[in-house]
Amino acid sequence: MMIKKALLALTLLGGTGVAMADTYFADMQEEIPPQPKATNLGYFAPRDLSEIPKGAFGDKIRKGYELFVNTQQLNGRSVGNQLNCTNCHLDAGAKAYAAPMWAAYLAYPAFRKKNNHVNTFAERVQGCFNFSMNGKAPAIDSPELVAISAYSYWLLMGGLLDMFGMQKTAVPELSDTALQQGGNIDDFKLPGPLSDKVKLDKRGQMPGRAFAKLDKTDQAPSPERGAKIYAEHCALCHAEDGQGIKMADVTVLPPLWGAQSYNWGAGMHRVNTAATFIYENMPLGKAVQLKPQEAWDVAAYINSRERPQDPRFEGDVAATAKQYHADDDGFYGKEVEGEILGTKAFPATTVK
Amino acid sequence: MRNLIIASGLLTLMAATAQAADIPTEAQQCVTCHGDKGQGTAQGPMIGGMSEQYLDAQIENFIAGRRNNTLMTLMAQSLVDLPARKIALSYFAAQGSPLKGQLRGDKIALSGAEKLYYQGDLKRGLPACYSCHGPAAVGGGSFPRLAGQQADYLAEQLIAWRKLERSGDHDNTMGHIAAKLKEDEIKSLATYLSAIQ
Ligand code: HEC
Ligand code: HEC
Ligand code: HEC
Ligand code: HEC
Repeated sequence: MMIKKALLALTLLGGTGVAMADTYFADMQEEIPPQPKATNLGYFAPRDLSEIPKGAFGDKIRKGYELFVNTQQLNGRSVGNQLNCTNCHLDAGAKAYAAPMWAAYLAYPAFRKKNNHVNTFAERVQGCFNFSMNGKAPAIDSPELVAISAYSYWLLMGGLLDMFGMQKTAVPELSDTALQQGGNIDDFKLPGPLSDKVKLDKRGQMPGRAFAKLDKTDQAPSPERGAKIYAEHCALCHAEDGQGIKMADVTVLPPLWGAQSYNWGAGMHRVNTAATFIYENMPLGKAVQLKPQEAWDVAAYINSRERPQDPRFEGDVAATAKQYHADDDGFYGKEVEGEILGTKAFPATTVK
Repeated sequence: MRNLIIASGLLTLMAATAQAADIPTEAQQCVTCHGDKGQGTAQGPMIGGMSEQYLDAQIENFIAGRRNNTLMTLMAQSLVDLPARKIALSYFAAQGSPLKGQLRGDKIALSGAEKLYYQGDLKRGLPACYSCHGPAAVGGGSFPRLAGQQADYLAEQLIAWRKLERSGDHDNTMGHIAAKLKEDEIKSLATYLSAIQ
């Protein structure tokens, strides 16, 4: 099965241009609207990793994959917790509705009304370093960001070529600067027959992007009910205390809260984002399917525990909450079990 | 009745073999089948180097009939003295050679069992075994070490899950995965895992 080609076909966006300057990550974790889950559509399938080409360009792609699944090699430099990109972007960024990199790559550069700024793909990756990884993002032109961009581009382009019957066509090479942009730009060229078949609009809505929409339930999400769900369906892997499990000194099952997890500015800290992720993807392997209410409740539970501070914090939780969390669906600055969350947060961005 | 006879025969056998001084008395009765360091023998699988939590859960599974094996079920049924059981299990949990862990991403172009282990199969909704069993299949917590385990035993367990003859894994976590594996994959995974040193 293949994605309906029609979904990809439409007009090119009229030259939005790309503003690269003033990389300000203030609200880079802005919510991406979840999509109604596409039924009946086979998801896009990236190429097998063994098909990454030989040579310098292929090396960048391979490095990107390696960083994506073992981001801990940057621990203490760009990463300040025990997570890896693949812990949230499952199957090395290839899984639909776990914010896959192929769909993301096509969606950037993306214009953000909020700050009147166009974020490139690489800038969006920086956002996840600063928040999800509680770290300090490598520079835009660093080998790390080029590599992660190259890998994401390869996931997208290889899959598109295959989808249109061009299994034998090599993924065209791009310059480092082009790689950082993403596919939502006039000069992002699709090879040969693809160029007129796939006139990409709605590039930000490739089926499978981000997370699948999960309807609100009758009862408001409850951390108390969530605690029970957690004990029943999550503690096996993420441990009673939410700190995950290490094996041979390597964190294998990732921490969900506390000093070693994502910080208060990360997208996953929002209850709605976590609920949709969990509903679709957890418990890993999906031997059981949670009910929507259970997903909301358990998301409320894990996201009402302390975690590293929001890096935009300037000494006052209420002010940070007002400025950055006013319309997000999270617990930062709110009282749960007698404590205002954020007041006992762990240090933000422990890397120097 | 027959069980009892087997059991008493076993006891004599065990009294004769297990004497090493550094093995706690409580663990000595296990050595005949599981080896002095829990490394496994022709009579029983490796149990050394697995977490106490996992080992204990399996004893409970044998007692409750969620796993079936004539000899081991009998043994498990005799392990009702919990403090003594704990001493035996913690002895075996502390054994097992350390492994040099191959991390996810260390190798990229993989095939066969190694690919399933480190990358899974997205099309079938099969997560990488690595996600739960860790680097070099070393295991931890509720997840057994698979590295160095006897190949036949590993394959039998996966098949037992598929035939619904083994259960007791929380939320059917492993059973759900075993059900998606093909027979030839089970064989090659078992061979691959047992060769990890
Ligand atoms: C704690 C979970 C988590 C981790 C770890 C994480 N991310 Fe993310 N990432 C998210 C969430 C959640 C979103 C969706 C953002 C939203 O809706 O706010 C996202 C979005 C993205 C996007 C944009 C997706 C889109 O469709 O627009 C990219 C690109 C990205 N992440 C890359 C990375 C990279 C690279 C890493 C590792 C350096 C990483 N992420 C680590 C949770 C995570
Ligand atoms: C069978 C083991 C298992 C169970 C049970 C499980 N998870 Fe996970 N979870 C994982 C693994 C493994 C990952 C990382 C995925 C990867 O690396 O491939 C993960 C990732 C996550 C993440 C994103 C990473 C992070 O650290 O924030 C969240 C959030 C999460 N799980 C929540 C839950 C919740 C809530 C439950 C209970 C409903 C649950 N999980 C049950 C194994 C499990
Ligand atoms: C007569 C031989 C025998 C003796 C003695 C014996 N076992 Fe076993 N044990 C087995 C066999 C055979 C199996 C594999 C059962 C199966 O295939 O399901 C097993 C399995 C196990 C398992 C499950 C291993 C896994 O990886 O899941 C544990 C735990 C265990 N034995 C603990 C013990 C302990 C502790 C003792 C001593 C108190 C003991 N056994 C004594 C034969 C024995
Ligand atoms: C989502 C988590 C998860 C994944 C992924 C996973 N396992 Fe497991 N596995 C478990 C759990 C949990 C157990 C312990 C079950 C129990 O307590 O009875 C287990 C047990 C096993 C056992 C039994 C070992 C013994 O000593 O009896 C084998 C064999 C096994 N797994 C093989 C695999 C293989 C091969 C893969 C990859 C194809 C895999 N597992 C992937 C969770 C997982």
